[in-house]
Amino acid sequence: MTTIKKLEGEFIRLRLLQVSDSELTYQWRHIARAKYLNKAASSIFDQAKWIESRPTSEQNFIIELNNGLPIGMISLVNIDHVNHHAESSRFLIANEEAVKGIPAAVESMKLLYELAFDELNLVRISGIVAENNSLMIKWQKYLGMKEEGRLRKHLYQDGQYFDAVCLGVLVDEYRKITAPRMNVLIAAARQRL
Amino acid sequence: MLTQDAIHAIIFQALSNVNDERGPVERLDIGATTILFGTDAVLDSLSLVSVIVDVEAAVSEISGRDMVLTDDRAMSQEVSPFSDVSSLTAYILLLLSEPVL
Repeated sequence: MTTIKKLEGEFIRLRLLQVSDSELTYQWRHIARAKYLNKAASSIFDQAKWIESRPTSEQNFIIELNNGLPIGMISLVNIDHVNHHAESSRFLIANEEAVKGIPAAVESMKLLYELAFDELNLVRISGIVAENNSLMIKWQKYLGMKEEGRLRKHLYQDGQYFDAVCLGVLVDEYRKITAPRMNVLIAAARQRL
Repeated sequence: MLTQDAIHAIIFQALSNVNDERGPVERLDIGATTILFGTDAVLDSLSLVSVIVDVEAAVSEISGRDMVLTDDRAMSQEVSPFSDVSSLTAYILLLLSEPVL
């Protein structure tokens, strides 16, 4: 298993999640926007244990602005080197104020896809999104993911069950649709009035 | 033919859709000078994509021609089409003024 230490973008970078990120990520997992992620650890101690126990089939990253400010997290999980696929997961931009006008979400996902498709030679990335997370579904579809099905009442949030929308992108679709669109969005932040 | 006012209305509706996903204190002030993306912008890239998707769909439906806002041409513009509402409107008018191939 290749362990990537840091992925550098133009506006942000991804660095590996460490136990020292326990308190920060524990706080992030409890903000309103994190409701779409799986249930969070119940204490900082448990969060540290969770980070320590990550398997080698995962690459978990902290998203940082280039000035070092941590703004969120993103993961590539269930990396399968036999069938050449993995899942994008635990994607959260926690500091929304810091990323206005900055393509942090787009560039984070671009770096994750480059890792998956260019470094690890995978052919498919998939993921699930709660049906009520319409902004994320719209975003992922625009960036090349296709809806492949639904897991009915798969997710439980705030006393309600929601379908999970299953999304996936193949390496050819990434190169033809996803990467060019991502490049335009990143360039839009580069250009000035 | 879509007018400038009609395109403004489409973009305002797309921004209003973003506001629907936000809490009361996070809502955007919407107007012709609203800065969309880049320095001093009001949108993050999740919201920008939402605006692009909604604007492309509405303009395509009303004009009867496919509208693609994120292609190489958008990148080559001197002023980014996504800088503010006015620049996005001007870019859409430019695309609509060209003959259909």
